[in-house]
Amino acid sequence: MSSQKDTTTGRALRMASMGAGIAGSYVGYLLQRAFLGEAKGKIKLKSTHMRAARRMADEMQALRGPAMKLGQMLSLQTGVLPDEILAELATLQMEAPGMHPSLVRVQIKGSLGREPEEIFKQFTAEPFAAASLGQVHHAITREGHRVAVKIQYPGIRRAIENDFRLFRTFAMPAQASGHIPKSAIDEIEKQIIAETDYQREADNIDFFAERLAPLSFVKVPRVFREYSSDKVLTMSLMTGRHLEDFLAQRPSQKLRNQLGAHLFELFYFQLLKIEALHADPHWGNYLFNDDAGISLVDFGCVKYLSSETVTYLRSVFLYPGASDSADFRRLLETYYERAGEKLLPAARRALLGFVDNFYRKVYPPKPEKNQLFDFGDATILRDFLRESKNLVRTMGVLTEFIFIGRTEMGLYQTLHRLRARVPTSQIVRKYL
Amino acid sequence: MGTKEKAAPKRVTRRGVTAKRPVGRRAQNKAAIRKRIVTAALSLFQTKGFDATTTKAIARKAGIAEGTVFNYFRTKEDIALHFFEQEVDQAIASVRDNPRLRKAPLEEKLFALVHSQLEFLAPYEKFIGAAFIHALKPASPLGIFSHRAQELRHRYVGFVQELLDESLPKNQYSALSFLAPEVFWIYYLGALLFWLHDSSPGKQHTLAFLDRSLAIGVSVLKQGKR
Repeated sequence: MSSQKDTTTGRALRMASMGAGIAGSYVGYLLQRAFLGEAKGKIKLKSTHMRAARRMADEMQALRGPAMKLGQMLSLQTGVLPDEILAELATLQMEAPGMHPSLVRVQIKGSLGREPEEIFKQFTAEPFAAASLGQVHHAITREGHRVAVKIQYPGIRRAIENDFRLFRTFAMPAQASGHIPKSAIDEIEKQIIAETDYQREADNIDFFAERLAPLSFVKVPRVFREYSSDKVLTMSLMTGRHLEDFLAQRPSQKLRNQLGAHLFELFYFQLLKIEALHADPHWGNYLFNDDAGISLVDFGCVKYLSSETVTYLRSVFLYPGASDSADFRRLLETYYERAGEKLLPAARRALLGFVDNFYRKVYPPKPEKNQLFDFGDATILRDFLRESKNLVRTMGVLTEFIFIGRTEMGLYQTLHRLRARVPTSQIVRKYL
Repeated sequence: MGTKEKAAPKRVTRRGVTAKRPVGRRAQNKAAIRKRIVTAALSLFQTKGFDATTTKAIARKAGIAEGTVFNYFRTKEDIALHFFEQEVDQAIASVRDNPRLRKAPLEEKLFALVHSQLEFLAPYEKFIGAAFIHALKPASPLGIFSHRAQELRHRYVGFVQELLDESLPKNQYSALSFLAPEVFWIYYLGALLFWLHDSSPGKQHTLAFLDRSLAIGVSVLKQGKR
């Protein structure tokens, strides 16, 4: 494998072989399932996923930028990929190959008009973090502020378009088998393209800084516009540790609970109060502090929700009646109609299944006082994945929900890793 | 062929050193006039086109007598060639004189070299496009077959060889690595053409092209040496 990488048959070829590799193994699985018994089929599925996952992580790591981003996106795309693949892809999230200092210099000069040393009092040539569409460097401004400078890899937009063209072609079998729905790929491409505009990201940061102000436990960076452009984004340096490092400190159950409740509240506050979502929930974008504070760092992927969606969410969250009641059914159908879609019976069944098998467990409609939900329980992730997979298969997912679902999955994954106990329904109720 | 070309860079190195020797006022004056002529000529090449520009117009623009121009350059082609020599020399110097780059991986050095050339050419893009076509005519003094252009190419190729020598282990030579500097010259012309046709803002596609193709090229080279 590594020798193949060294010969560098080229980006396209590698992407192609990757596509063929993954698609190939799914095709193989679909064929084998037809001939194997139920139990055997399950075992086979698991090993197919593992193999595909390894392959995907390997290949995507070797590629720069967009494919990497796509990997990350898919890794949190609920129901799109099986959990074995998700687990494997999660390892991708903090690593990306980088630009050498000469290229960084050229990008900064091309974008801000001057060399990094002329702009900043101090600029560290080596990046401290990989952003998937670029990388982040430490710097100190002339006024003495410690900042993070995010620099975009050149020509990224076209590379994304090319990658998606290839990905669509080679993911055909996976699309056909329902593993990767087309609407999901479209929505992800749109979002990744939007992320290449750092000016837009700067606007997102300002928006969130203002709207999240009521949540005292959340910190949002400050943008330094005079040091920013569409390809360079300079922000104040945030404090805190990544999840892995935070957990390595062996934080107490109390701290983990607090942090869990904060993450949870942050999610529902965004969804229901500010109607926009910091929708790139991968762990690299959250920094955790010992006072249970959360620092947000990456605002490339923000999903602004329509007010219809938010109204709908309010009406169905913690719905007190029976999930098979005519009233609840009408709520679902009306929303789908407004979105210009018809709620097909299979999709409705899948939605109701989701409510009964997942949401009512995690969010009891009538919770006892201080009732906590324990996210340490691994079955919750599996339940969520299973139910969303069912829903995706029925083509019952509205594109609006792709990013909500993805962020929600990210939230549960993080809460699970924290093994946090959270008063779920109580927090949601606050914002209904 | 290989030995002849390898001799070239050493000569160049010495020439580079002579140029840095402290110069007298007279020489300074001469250099200033030479620079004025080149600047005037380039601005005319860029706006009026290479063919339509006369030495008379260059002299007028530079504010000197036409005869004076001939003291420095025989023809406008000479001026253009002088400019390309400057392009190559300053690019070589920018890599050679950067202590950080000396320790950088080969692909970064080559990137810095090519980028420094393109940056030098950038203000005269229109002219470069025209010169590129000119250079392909076998009889043109600007052409890649002219004596001075050959010499310039040797200097460039010699420097690339130098970079390869310091970056790759000596004892593992293959056919590929002997050819590499010559191939790099052709690669550079290709990159120049790519750059000329790159309409992306800030020539972002050229940067991506350089970065990716050099990474691939260097890894192929390393593989060939195994």
